[in-house]
Amino acid sequence: MMTPLCDDSMAKKQRYISRRDFWFKAGMGIGGLALIDLLNRDGLLAAEAPQACVASDSVKDSPYLPKPTNFKPRAKSVIHLFMSGGVSQVDTFDYKPDLLKYHGVALGSGIAGVQGDGKVIVRQGYPGPLMRSPFQFKQYGQSGTWISEIFPHMSTIVDDLAFIHSATGKSNDHVLSHYEWNTGMILMGFPSVGAWVTYGLGTENQNLPAYVVLYDHRGGPFSGPTNWGSGFLPAAYQGTVFRSVGDPILDLKPPSDYMSVEQERRELDLLARKNANHAEMHPGVSDLSARISSYELAYRMQGCAPEAVDLDQESEETKKLYGLDDKITAPFGRQCLLARRLIERGVRFVQLYNGAIVNQNVDTWDAHSSISENHRMHAAEVDKPITGLITDLKRRGLFDETALLWQSEFGRMPISQRALGRDHNPGCQTMWMAGAGIKGGQHIGSSDEVGYKAADQVIWNHDVHASLLYLLGMDHKRLTFYFNGRNMRLTDVAGELIPQIVGHGKVAA
Amino acid sequence: MRPEFLRNFRTSARWALPLIAAAVAITTLAQTGAVTDKDVRPILEKKCFQCHGDNLRMGNLDLRSRESMLQGGSAGPALVPGRAAESLLYQRVTGQSTPRMPMAPQPILTDSEVAILKRWIDEGAKWDSASPAVSAAPGDKAGASYAEYKERVITDEMRHWWAFQKPVRNTPPAVMPERWSKNPIDMFVKASMDANSLTPAPQADRATLIRRAYLDLIGLLPSPAEVDTFVSDPSPRAYEDLVERLLASSHYGERWGRFWLDVVRFAESSGYEHDRTLNTAWRYRDYVIKSLNDDKPYNRFVIEQLAGDELDPPTEESLVATAYYRVGPRVRFREKDNPYYRYDYLDDIIRTTFGGFMGLSVQCARCHDHKFDPITRMDYYRSVAMFFGHVNYDHLLVPKKDADEWAAATKEILRQIAPLKKEIAQIEAPYKRKQFEETVKKLPEDVQLAIKTPVEQRTAGQKLLAAQFESGLDVDPDANADDDLAKIVLAATDDNFYHYSPPSEAQGSQRRGLKLSDADEQKRKELQNRITELQKKMPKAPPGVEGVRDGDYRLAPDGPGDVPLPGKSRAEYGVKCCYLPEPGQEYHVPDVHFGANGLNLEEDVKGPVVQPGFLQVLVNGTPPPLADPPKRTDYVSSGRRRALAEWIASPENPLTARVMVNRLWYWHFGTGIVATPGTFGKMGAPPSHPELLDWLATEFIRQGWSIKQIQRLIMNSETYKMSSRFYNADDVGKDPTDVYLWRYPVRRLEGEAIRDIVLSASGKINFQAGGPSFFPAIPLSVRVGYANGRWDLTKEEPATWRRSVYSYWKRGMKVPMFDVHDQPDQNFTAERRNISTVPTQALMLLNDEFTLLQSRLLAERVMQEAGSDLPTQVKLLYKIALSRQPTERELRDDLEFVNREQAAQAGNSEGTYLRAMSRLAHVMINSNEFVYIN
Repeated sequence: MMTPLCDDSMAKKQRYISRRDFWFKAGMGIGGLALIDLLNRDGLLAAEAPQACVASDSVKDSPYLPKPTNFKPRAKSVIHLFMSGGVSQVDTFDYKPDLLKYHGVALGSGIAGVQGDGKVIVRQGYPGPLMRSPFQFKQYGQSGTWISEIFPHMSTIVDDLAFIHSATGKSNDHVLSHYEWNTGMILMGFPSVGAWVTYGLGTENQNLPAYVVLYDHRGGPFSGPTNWGSGFLPAAYQGTVFRSVGDPILDLKPPSDYMSVEQERRELDLLARKNANHAEMHPGVSDLSARISSYELAYRMQGCAPEAVDLDQESEETKKLYGLDDKITAPFGRQCLLARRLIERGVRFVQLYNGAIVNQNVDTWDAHSSISENHRMHAAEVDKPITGLITDLKRRGLFDETALLWQSEFGRMPISQRALGRDHNPGCQTMWMAGAGIKGGQHIGSSDEVGYKAADQVIWNHDVHASLLYLLGMDHKRLTFYFNGRNMRLTDVAGELIPQIVGHGKVAA
Repeated sequence: MRPEFLRNFRTSARWALPLIAAAVAITTLAQTGAVTDKDVRPILEKKCFQCHGDNLRMGNLDLRSRESMLQGGSAGPALVPGRAAESLLYQRVTGQSTPRMPMAPQPILTDSEVAILKRWIDEGAKWDSASPAVSAAPGDKAGASYAEYKERVITDEMRHWWAFQKPVRNTPPAVMPERWSKNPIDMFVKASMDANSLTPAPQADRATLIRRAYLDLIGLLPSPAEVDTFVSDPSPRAYEDLVERLLASSHYGERWGRFWLDVVRFAESSGYEHDRTLNTAWRYRDYVIKSLNDDKPYNRFVIEQLAGDELDPPTEESLVATAYYRVGPRVRFREKDNPYYRYDYLDDIIRTTFGGFMGLSVQCARCHDHKFDPITRMDYYRSVAMFFGHVNYDHLLVPKKDADEWAAATKEILRQIAPLKKEIAQIEAPYKRKQFEETVKKLPEDVQLAIKTPVEQRTAGQKLLAAQFESGLDVDPDANADDDLAKIVLAATDDNFYHYSPPSEAQGSQRRGLKLSDADEQKRKELQNRITELQKKMPKAPPGVEGVRDGDYRLAPDGPGDVPLPGKSRAEYGVKCCYLPEPGQEYHVPDVHFGANGLNLEEDVKGPVVQPGFLQVLVNGTPPPLADPPKRTDYVSSGRRRALAEWIASPENPLTARVMVNRLWYWHFGTGIVATPGTFGKMGAPPSHPELLDWLATEFIRQGWSIKQIQRLIMNSETYKMSSRFYNADDVGKDPTDVYLWRYPVRRLEGEAIRDIVLSASGKINFQAGGPSFFPAIPLSVRVGYANGRWDLTKEEPATWRRSVYSYWKRGMKVPMFDVHDQPDQNFTAERRNISTVPTQALMLLNDEFTLLQSRLLAERVMQEAGSDLPTQVKLLYKIALSRQPTERELRDDLEFVNREQAAQAGNSEGTYLRAMSRLAHVMINSNEFVYIN
């Protein structure tokens, strides 16, 4: 069921006059009601074969042109799966049998290994005592990884995933933590990881945006567009949202009742002549030619973006693999399948969100009131689609050249909140990385006995970002942009490669 | 020539990663005598120790001794004695290994220095001197803690940096021809051209000049009539008069105010999670526009923004100006309970103030001495102390008597409401208890057990469980909220003030799902009605502005409905006076401790107390005296911000005037004389015309800091009036990016200005000036991505066709049209705007409802004003959009286009013709010539 917010018909109802009258009747009283050439509209672009959408050899002037890496890359593209709201590690991938033992006990009251001093800072209300997981755990795969019952599908692929159990953040605020993991800083306004990646590498397909964001069908995540913004980098590198209804990109095509794409082509031809004239009078101004080619690229994007999101080209079997045949899994399944299609077409960075702040405690993973209800629902939404994605990437030979990162903005408390829920916990979360030749079935770092704070090999956002850039062939210390007197970095002045992810180096003692 | 890393400031379409060519040094050192550390140390000291020496050991590398070089850093040993080619030290300084050292902007080693280093290593790296002790804790820890910190001594050599020297007013050099020797700007520019054997372009034609001047000074298109009059004006003063008219136009401030708003990171919402609206921020925006229109002396403009509340006496404008402090990004949790946010806000203020007014990145010294400029960490904390008195304060813009009356009337009503609320709470209390008991029954058994267990018998875990449900049970936060009348006073100083409405009791009960008996419900309703009646009598809040004044942030009262929660870092400070000091009260700005960051209050007070002060590199040991506290009778202030403001705005300050004239130059030419307008330190670009910059800075001060006077000089210069169409293959080769301004540099307009001229072309622009912002239409599909993206108006209509500077600016969600055109992120002062060129911009201008609709309106305008003759219409379209006639070829092309588009459609109605004409207008709006200043 679509939320009304996404329903295009609602937008139409809000208009103050009907579409038909909008363009050519209202206003100065000139003109009559014109016939609308709806029929012509989609004819033209059928000529654009999918192949034409992948090739972009002729493009000479674009900030997205592929750029050399610092060293040989392991992966060409990134799929970033962001579970917005805060996934509870102890109810998913960080099995803590001690929580059974200590259920109902105050945290820090003499439990071995717990670093806490009894003063627990919670986000909301009053802290509760330790609480066991409402879910059963079992071991899976050759790695014997403990997985909660809410991921029946992902439990079959645990040997492909490298779990990081000691990921630590600086804030227990949703928004600041979204910034922290998406931009490297907890302050607002820094460029997102995807922006840095496309700035550093460009993209392999000029006919599609380099960095695509597909957010939850219910709406955007905490803090919205700032998550995929370009900060002080040029706007060219910001993420482009692919919408779930209608044309994928905002303003991709003229409204059909205004003109057809064919007519627009004729406009573009005239425009090209005018611009060529103008450029001729201003020789040696490269900005002018860049703007000329941007119009040709825009035109190609009009054909290529709809092609990229045309799921009818997929087999029934594939659609099922992603759970498109089930109303629970279909929305995120669609996001995952689109992600595969986009990276297949050379898009550099695809970010998917599960969780929208329309109704925060329900629509995101923000399980303040009930872990059981909330996490069951969200896990069910993403479990099969993610499993399908990895299965599909593997059988198409894309898995090894794609870096996958699954995470949330923070973990949750091992203590209860009003008996059934859990509050925010930046002390540790479990995330996983996969693909890009990363050894699967690994468990990197660990949390303490009850999953309150990271214990071994504490890992910060900068470490994950440095490692991700490394997989893409970039040295995080050399990916810089001059801004306000400083060469800025995604990793600020920090960031250590995670040895188990990059496959070399030693774990610091 | 500019250094390599700055080239991309001009060529906007490409951002290559720094590719560093491997350069092999040529040995020129005479092959005599052994090389020892005595030869090498001076090189290392000069080029390497700044980052790998006493203060810093970047990459964990210390180059101060042979041992530490052998030990090396993160990348491995720096030295292989006897084998330079294998030594990382040698590889890095020659670029054989990257990154090449030293990093920009430090100059790389000269050939002879490389040669010495190579010989030294090849000869075994002899080190005779006693090695300096290497700190046991190398790396970034050095200098991190106050105990280890010793302030760097600022030497005369450090003060020698050009931007720290006062500008020198040189006589403009004599140049030829005479046309270039009338305006001092031209004399300096032409002299630079001559020195580089460049030929200036001829003057642009009048049609080009009028369009250029309009777009530049007021951001609007000249009307066809204005173009015709100007082009045929026989007066030799025609152009000068045009400039005067435009400078006097009220639209001037609307265009130039936008630039200033970039500098002060202005937006109208707080950002972060809540992204709350700053309800009065538009008054600050209007203040900026008015100040520019009035040509307010820039020094006064600076002082008002930094210390408008500390003037003696303040004016309404100067109080509004203090919103400067409020319009930045703010998390908006109480600073006293979350002091680390206060330090972040202070960092924002320091970054904006020093970067914006003085071109210095003082914020870099928050955690360590500045790595490139002589700004110490102590300087940073001195600056923090300068600002530390300020607290958020909503200045009421009415006489004090009126404000007092308003406050008294408000208090009185709230005083009458309070007992009614209490009565409601009493009625509800038993129901709430019952509701609680029902809730408990549904809870897991262990929770029920915890609640049933008598308090003294509960385990620690049970206490926690029970507390989660029992807390607040017998307290009604809503009822308590207004009990304390002192909190109403707070209303005048609180963020929620302007839109504060007491929570509705009815809603509160519904929210809690309380079902009352009919009798109680009736009683409650009556009470509620009485409250509602009283609330209706609440006097309207007088106009105000969210600004600042001095006080003590630690003593801020809680807000209405505010219940302290456990776990907050609320602290007792042992101070009594005063959140807002009153006359007669003894006020001290709270102490600033060196190194404090608000994260750990116990740690924070360990550092020594820092006295407020100015940057040591600029005061040269003789700081100006602190300003006297203002003598006003109605409140008390420290005067620190005013002292800082007066120091910044002083003619003695070597940076302020230079930075501003450079910004003006940048806004006129697309590149500053210093290409990094917010960075005049070593990381910035060197000035392309240093003498011109200095001359302009001194002239600026001499002319009473008149911005318009500098612009008048620029606008009337030959430099400005040059044609952009000039091309001389030789000159392009010598200066491809036009650094020396041998032709007028064309540039794309910003997104806001493009929108404005589209409206200007269609004639539908709504010139409603000032006041609350309008909300441009944003498609639902964009708004749905951001749940905090509440947006008042979402359709295209005249109310949304105001000038872009009046558009609401939400930090969390930018207007797509502006966003794709590189509107700067308003979380930091923007020293310049990026200019990127991408397909999404083209899609926006091609397919967005705004441009399509405006194209149609432009077509209608043309059809109405030009009569029925098609060629006449096309000619008028050119005159409106491009201020010129079409060429014959253009006219032919366009007529053909319109005819074909018309023919291609069924029927031959007027509407069909309008469509064809609209498409031509649409092409015009998308053309490069239209969106560029040519």
